[in-house]
Parts: sequence; C-alpha cells; structure tokens
Amino acid sequence: MAGFFSLLRRLYLTAYNLTLFVGWFQVLFTVLKTLKDSGHENLYHAAEKPLFFSQTAAVLEILHGLVGLVRSPVTATLPQIGSRLFVAWGILWSFPETRTHVLVTSLLISWSVTEIIRYFFFGLKEAFGSAPSWLLWLRYSTFLVLYPTGISSEVGLIYISLPFIKASEKYCIRMPNKWNFSFDYFCAAVVVLGIYVPGSIHMYSYMLAQRKKALLKSKKE
Amino acid sequence: MKVTVVSRSGREVVKGGIHLSDSATVADLQEAIHKQTKKYPSRQRLTLPVQPGSKERPVVLNYKKSLQDYTSGNSDSLTVVFKDLGPQVSYRTLFFCEYLGPLLLYPVFYYFPVYKYFGYKGERVIHPVQTYALYYWCFHYAKRILETFFVHRFSHATSPLSNVFRNCAYYWTFGSYIAYYVNHPLYTPVNDLQMKIGFGFGILCQISNFYCHIILKNLRSPGGEGGYQIPKGFLFNIVTCANYTTEIYQWLGFNIATQTVAGYIFLAVATFIMTNWALAKHRRLKKLFDGKEGRPRYPRRWIILPPFL
Repeated sequence: MAGFFSLLRRLYLTAYNLTLFVGWFQVLFTVLKTLKDSGHENLYHAAEKPLFFSQTAAVLEILHGLVGLVRSPVTATLPQIGSRLFVAWGILWSFPETRTHVLVTSLLISWSVTEIIRYFFFGLKEAFGSAPSWLLWLRYSTFLVLYPTGISSEVGLIYISLPFIKASEKYCIRMPNKWNFSFDYFCAAVVVLGIYVPGSIHMYSYMLAQRKKALLKSKKE
Repeated sequence: MKVTVVSRSGREVVKGGIHLSDSATVADLQEAIHKQTKKYPSRQRLTLPVQPGSKERPVVLNYKKSLQDYTSGNSDSLTVVFKDLGPQVSYRTLFFCEYLGPLLLYPVFYYFPVYKYFGYKGERVIHPVQTYALYYWCFHYAKRILETFFVHRFSHATSPLSNVFRNCAYYWTFGSYIAYYVNHPLYTPVNDLQMKIGFGFGILCQISNFYCHIILKNLRSPGGEGGYQIPKGFLFNIVTCANYTTEIYQWLGFNIATQTVAGYIFLAVATFIMTNWALAKHRRLKKLFDGKEGRPRYPRRWIILPPFL
C-alpha cells in the first residue's frame, strides 16, 4: 500500500512539474517571439494565458508543502509565491496601464527562465530519482542573477502602479460600515513594498544556504 | 574536579578547562565561566554532551545542583556543552514593555485629534461604547502590568533581548490597529444590549482570569522551586489552561461590544498562539503525570477552548 502511494505521489509530482515546465517554456517562447516580431508593448497580451495558468498553478506548491508531499517549508514557499501572485493578479491584471512598461520584459524573462530550470529539475528528479549535475548547478546558480532582476522588476512595477492604484480606488473598503472595517489598496501596496526590502534579503540568503547545501551534497556523491 | 567547557561544534570555550572543588555547584561553574568569557550566568545554557546523531534532547544543567550529580562514576572530570543565549532581559521587563505600549497608545486615539492626520475633518462625536471601550482596554492592560509585578512567578528568570523587539512590535501594532477603528469618527456602534452583554461577559472573564493567575501563583513556592504541578481548583478542574481560556473569552467580550474586524483578527492570532502553548503544556503535564511509579495521573480535561478543544 505504501509503495502504491509513493508511486502515485511520484507520478503526480512528475506530471505537475513537467506541466509547469511546459507552461513556463511557452511563456518564454512567446516573450522572445513577440520581442522579435513586434515590441515589448505587446508582451503581456501575447503571454497572458500561459503566464496566468502557470503562475496560479503554483498555489498547489504551497499545498504540497502543507500536506507533506514535498519537504520545502511553507514559510519559504508562501512569501515567494504570494509575492508573485500579488504582482501578477494584483498589479498587471488589475491595472492594465502597467502592462506596456519595459519592466514587464525583464520580469517575464526572469520568472520564466528561473521556472523552466526549476520545474525541469524537479520533474526529472521525481521521474528518475536524480537530475544531471549541470541542471542541479543551474537550478542553484541562476537565481544569483535572476533573483535580483526579477525582484527589481516586481518592485519597479508595483512602484509605477501606485498612482493608478490611488486614482482608481479599486479593492478599497471605506468606513462607515457595520463591521467597522476599512481597507486601502494603496496603503497595502506601500506596505508590500516595505516588506520587499527585508523579505528579499531573507529569501536571497535562504537560497544561498540552499545552494551551499545542494552543491556540497552533490560533490560528496 | 576538572570541567571541560566546549561549544556545540566541539571547540574548547575555556582554554585548559576549569578547576573547581569537588563540592562545587553548577552555579559555581557558571560564575567561573562568567569570569573567563564575560558571559553572565543567565546567558549561559549548559548541557551534557549527547552522542552525535542521536535524536535525544540533551540534559540541561540546573544551577542549584551539585556538579557531582552530573558525573557518571568518573568524578574527576566533566565535559559540558556551552551555548551563548545572547543578551537577556528579565521576564518582568519584557512583559512591562509589551503591555505599556497598548496602555499608552490606545488613549492617544481617544483623546487626541489624530484622525485629522488621516484626512478626516470636522468634529468627532464620541459614542458611549467608545468611552467604555477605553476604560475596558486600559483596565485590561493595567491589570496585566500589575499582575506582572505582584502576582506572576516565572519559571524562567530571563528571556532573550530580541524577544522584546518582536513582542513589542506585535502588541504595539495590534493595539494601535484596534484603537484606530474603535475610536474612528465614522465608527458604527452596535445596539445597547449587545454592548452590555459583551462588556459584562468580558469583565466576568477578566475577573476569572485574575483568579486563575492567583491559583497558578500558589502552585509555585516563592523560591521558584517545585517544578510542574497539576493545576487544581476553579476552572482548572475543567481546562488545563484556564488562564488562556479566560483571556481569549474576555477579548471575545470586548469584540462583541465594539465589533471591529481588527479586533477579531487580533483575537484569531492570539487564540492561535495561545493554543500552541496550551497544547505543549497539556502534553508536558500528561507526560509528567503518567500515573506510573506512584506519580499521580493527569485527569481528563479540556485543553484550552471548551467545548471544542
């Protein structure tokens, strides 16, 4: 019985990782093709479908950690995926004014390259029990560059959306109401920007530690 | 007797070890380490070494015991593992800082024209429930500060300094967040009956909470000795952590009367934190009082939130 479940788990995780590998590959392919054919203004429109499919599916990763399907702790996956979802749904999708900005290019390239490598790595690992060492090296090295570029694109896009958020009053709840509650999306976005500073340092050092652990382990084997 | 002091990585902390008389206590050893390393005793965590790879928890040295109690037959030498816990503050200081924030910040929102700076102009009409809420809030935190100095007996003398920053951020931020909404110029009060039920129930829970703290205090002797005991009497006959139960329900009373989402968020977070503590304490008491070898058996009780948990 235990063997059956572990087989099922492996099959599921392989399928999940490879599906998202394909999804993000499609994002990167579309991005490059659009850049070549037209210009960066049309990127969002061209890549929208695979982007939102792949990024939203990452919610499952938080669940995988919660139910113990994978070992990565929720404290690491939740901020990582939460911030991505906020930028995707809360900024790009909610405020179309941001979609033509040049930062969308660096954002989508950083996200898709990272994710293609990551999902391919984990897909192979689940399917065959191990991944080639060059892929392991890529998985734990590309973030050194792609993390800073991705995060600065995210921060930049949130920042340029601030005036649109303020003017639109979107997602705001105002007093008075029976439950004495108010929510200001502009303030929330500013708070998120504030969290990005210590948050990205924390995540970067977490990944550096992971890198050290993973590369040392692979050397020993 | 020669004591070798090593760090967790195995490095010697005090070069050449420490030589003490055979009747020396752990406290004497801590004083000696203090002289050598400039780390005062409450910063020091001394344990017996464990086998590498073993999952067992190391034995923590009790400062009151004699060093002889920890030597296994070979009474000439002892190896202890030293960990620096970082700067420490007393629990009284920690609690005082935590509670002083909400006690002082809440009235600022009530008495001063702070909403001017949030863009609200004009006169503010104060509802009776906002005035009662102010008294209720201040009574609650004044009670907690007074209990810290005159009632509580702490099982640990000190806490790491970093906890002061973390806990103050938690209490001060939530205090201001709730105060902002309860004292808001556009605040919508609940009906009179609901307000009276909320505050009435809350006050009842606060008084019960005070009584729970008295019972807990009497479980420990003034010297801080005695270790863990089975709490008995009043609500403790039903719930292991009746002190948390009453604390949670008194916040529920406050929220019934004031009805803010901010207050309910605080209630949810506080309940989550206290439930974790309660589960740990319940587990510890059940393990300690297992009914074997003459030890009393821990009775069947709710853990924190009857009739749910």
